[in-house]
Amino acid sequence: MVVYSFYIFDRHAECIYKRRWVPRPPSIIGKSSRPTSESSSTPNALPPVLGQSARTTDDDAKLIFGTVFSLRNMVRKLGGEDDSFVTYRTSQYKLHYYETPTNIKFVMLTDIKSPSMRIALQQIYINLYVEYVVKNPLSPVEHPGGVGVNNELFEESLEQFVTRVLS
Amino acid sequence: MTVFSLIIINKAGGLIYQREFQPGLRKLSTNDYLVLAGTFHGVHAITRTITPKLPLATASTTATTPTSSTIPSTPGTPTPPTPASAFTFPNPGIPATGLESLETDKFRLTCFQTLTGTKFLLFTDPMMGNIDVVMKKVYELYSDYVMKNPFYQLEMPVRCEAFDRHLAGWLRGRT
Repeated sequence: MVVYSFYIFDRHAECIYKRRWVPRPPSIIGKSSRPTSESSSTPNALPPVLGQSARTTDDDAKLIFGTVFSLRNMVRKLGGEDDSFVTYRTSQYKLHYYETPTNIKFVMLTDIKSPSMRIALQQIYINLYVEYVVKNPLSPVEHPGGVGVNNELFEESLEQFVTRVLS
Repeated sequence: MTVFSLIIINKAGGLIYQREFQPGLRKLSTNDYLVLAGTFHGVHAITRTITPKLPLATASTTATTPTSSTIPSTPGTPTPPTPASAFTFPNPGIPATGLESLETDKFRLTCFQTLTGTKFLLFTDPMMGNIDVVMKKVYELYSDYVMKNPFYQLEMPVRCEAFDRHLAGWLRGRT
């Protein structure tokens, strides 16, 4: 299965972490073994395409938040307050959603053949987010602009989780 | 199998039909259903625009899923600059659609959009299979008893007794 992107939204509807995995030729992957988020445009990657995507990632995050927020409210209205939507699928991709009791939203876009990722998102929250972001004494309580979330440990373990566990 | 309800949304996002077949979902007021239809119409369009775009240079070589391992790469040569529009969708053979199926703990929502933009929303049990059969039959009944009704005005609320009757009868026969 292929993971396309991953987003975390806090309870103020702000995107505090986003990460995209664009399938690249193996030669580039081998060179940048630890790519950092959003700055993964290596010199020999496609500059115009990545330039365009870098411009729209903020907009994408907002659109994705709007989508999951609307769908969540719709589902709660129809299924009751304790209902929550897990995933939706289009002809091209699948979006997985997990919300913690503190209203932090985890969103992951994968290909349509992937199974349910609820457990995986829960594991990312429990094993990565809580361990490396919440328990980090230097991390602020809120994360305006992603401060405290984009630390090295979290990014590296997320990278490992997605590349090793999920594929 | 359980079909909770059916909603039909016209191409402008207006609610033209809403019917509950079996209890299971919470009842909303008519106004809330109208809001829901409009919201869904917008969300459906957004879900299509946020389709992940893959750079064409890596994905065009393979017709199926563009995994990075299948690409015959030419190491050392810089990739030729491609125009900003050079991208492909994950499943290049199929046009990008909006939301087709949504799963929650309590129900599954299946959306079918006709070529003319009308959307059929079917709320079913999450365990139920063969929803496309039900959807196809609903569309067939809609074509037969709504579209062929000479008194039906396009894009207006569906008030066709024959459609109601046949829909209820067919769904009852299946359970």
